[in-house]
Amino acid sequence: MKKIIAFMTAAVMTAGLLSGCGSSSAEATTAAETTAAATTAAETEAAAETEAAAAEAAQLKTVTDGILTMGTNAAFPPYEYYDGDKIVGIDAEVAEAVAEKLGLKLEIVDMDFSSIITSVQTGKVDIGVAGMTVTEERLQNVNFSDTYSTGVQVVIVPEDSQITDVDGLSGALIGVQEGTTGHIYCSDDYGEENVIAYTNGATAVQALLNGKIDCVVIDKQPALKFVEANPGLKILETAYVEEDYAIAVSKDNEALLAAINGALKELTEDGTVQKVLDTYIKAE
Amino acid sequence: MIYVKGLSKSFGSIDVLKNIDAHISPGEKVVIVGPSGSGKSTFLRCLNLLEIPTAGSIVFDGQEITSDKADVNEIRRHMGMVFQHFNLFANMTVKQNIMFAPVKLKLMTSEEAQAQAMALLERVNLADKADVYPSQLSGGQKQRIAIVRSLAMKPKVMLFDEPTSALDPEMVGEVLELMKQLADSGMTMVVVTHEMGFAREVATRILFMDEGIIKEEAAPAEFFGAPKDPRLQDFLRKVL
Amino acid sequence: MQKIIEGLRLGIYQTFILENNYKYFINGLGITLLVTASALILGLILGIFVAIVRSAHDQQPQNRRNPLLGILNIICRLYLTVIRGTPSMVQLLIMWFVIWASARATDGNMIRCAILSFGINSGAYIAEIVRSGIMSIDKGQMEAGRSLGLTYAATMKGVIIPQAFKNVLPALGNEMITLLKETSIVTVIGLKDLTKGAMIIQSKTYQALVPFLAIAAIYLVMVLFLTWVMDKVERRMRESDIR
Repeated sequence: MKKIIAFMTAAVMTAGLLSGCGSSSAEATTAAETTAAATTAAETEAAAETEAAAAEAAQLKTVTDGILTMGTNAAFPPYEYYDGDKIVGIDAEVAEAVAEKLGLKLEIVDMDFSSIITSVQTGKVDIGVAGMTVTEERLQNVNFSDTYSTGVQVVIVPEDSQITDVDGLSGALIGVQEGTTGHIYCSDDYGEENVIAYTNGATAVQALLNGKIDCVVIDKQPALKFVEANPGLKILETAYVEEDYAIAVSKDNEALLAAINGALKELTEDGTVQKVLDTYIKAE
Repeated sequence: MIYVKGLSKSFGSIDVLKNIDAHISPGEKVVIVGPSGSGKSTFLRCLNLLEIPTAGSIVFDGQEITSDKADVNEIRRHMGMVFQHFNLFANMTVKQNIMFAPVKLKLMTSEEAQAQAMALLERVNLADKADVYPSQLSGGQKQRIAIVRSLAMKPKVMLFDEPTSALDPEMVGEVLELMKQLADSGMTMVVVTHEMGFAREVATRILFMDEGIIKEEAAPAEFFGAPKDPRLQDFLRKVL
Repeated sequence: MQKIIEGLRLGIYQTFILENNYKYFINGLGITLLVTASALILGLILGIFVAIVRSAHDQQPQNRRNPLLGILNIICRLYLTVIRGTPSMVQLLIMWFVIWASARATDGNMIRCAILSFGINSGAYIAEIVRSGIMSIDKGQMEAGRSLGLTYAATMKGVIIPQAFKNVLPALGNEMITLLKETSIVTVIGLKDLTKGAMIIQSKTYQALVPFLAIAAIYLVMVLFLTWVMDKVERRMRESDIR
């Protein structure tokens, strides 16, 4: 696990360098590893350095011209969820702000979590924003932007559970949401046979309520909602793992990645991102 | 041997049999004739309860078979039935067809049943067909085997439901020949047929059925020589 | 072109070799086959029973009906209506989270639940297939059996069912193939079957092309094999039809 996180940090740093000054094409190749790196790097430079958003938009290639299509799984409050028939949340608002910076119109497509990256890869959507964590294996198939938010994976247990901290997880049956980093980390840490993956968090929590499993490892924000909605459950004090969320972009669209990183940098500096986070995550 | 009293049968609102009385004695060969739709097949099928009578009683061998307490399966063992369409079991060879019921009902061991089946097949000159499936046989061969299959149960009476109606003309002879042999051996027989030659030659008594009732019954000589019922006279004019 | 080959090579590497990922396919395949085969056996038993009850009830003479058979028939019809009228995924979820809510999420329990759920589901379809087979057999076959003094059950078992079975073999083969593919929805209760294997690899690597093509190929090979076996069996059973 440590190795993965170390790599993640490296990757984020790489991406950061790339967007920050756009000077290091050698760094870029580690992530991109394609022959097209040189030409892309040139585009990258141009994209990142231009401050005028509108001018930039003209050069950005997206699935649909003038529109930034975002894939997400709108069952992950407070990052993305339905409010009426509109998808809202941290990811939705950050993406909206990024799109605005790039002079594009944001369009959100709801899909299964495990389909998001595939959709990015195959060009069905431009970006995947769904509280996604960077991992080594994932990086071989898509690019990730700089991180815009930090996520915490926590453990939900019944109130009378024997499990009191993360160490108690070994030997227990662990429920996770399929395809999440919790799924991957738990499988590595506690063995495949002890990890049961459900298609969504609610099903995993239902299994926990039935006593089919001993705990659920899931992101902190939805976990809070689940515990609030189901009396008799609690969240362990110690977090399972902390991780950084980033935006997934196709490997074929380095220009877009650079542009997004540029936008994120500005949005972080002017406090917009923090404002969004504060709106959705109330101080505890 | 078989006493039929007040037998009626309706299908929905159609009355097929209307209050029929009849009696069949041991050793008799009763032939039933009549126009189609006259109820003769239904009458025959009531005798072994393939059709459940709506009213009336049938007594076979001193036992009232129409009573609720009667063991239908036990009764049917003693009444062989031959169908118009042979109804050989399509999933079994000829020999298996003959052996199936005696073995299944534990009347014989498999070896005994096999020996009997072969003996019966020899009798009808079809021993070479013992291991073929019915679909490979001609109609005449099928019907002779169907008769032999019934005989394997050693029945007290044999019921024939138009046994030659579905046969090509050149095959009718071989089936009628076997039925004659059976009659000569003393078997009690009830035969529904259109074969007037067979009726004249083999029957001890002929029943004429029309519109669900027995209109006339007589020995062959009288039946064909001096028919009384006008419907029968009309019928005989058409078929002879 | 070179980029495509490069991508494919990476995909194959990540799908099968990296961290022994191929094991997901092997273990998943085992579970898929186990669930399919067991559910099929359960479905056949249930289906034949229901088909016999239904046809026995329908074949009774109008004026002599058995009340017990009437009740059984109503239960069977209810079963057919409910099972065929609801999606199998919903049935599986209800079986796991409602009817058998207390079960621990061990592989053994999930497999048992899947077998039960799919067996019951398949039984309903097999029942109607077998019933149509029974109905397709000439009435004379039953009458011949009964006229020899055989019971309804003995005639059914010795004469009707073997013939009906032969007639419906293609439809049963079809049901078997449907069942094999449909078991892929066991992923919703967390069972790690063949499909789940591919999904896990996909979520680990974000590599979709190779894992999904791989399981498609595996399912296809299994279906082709089943078709081949059914063909053989059918040909053997047709022996009695040679003219």
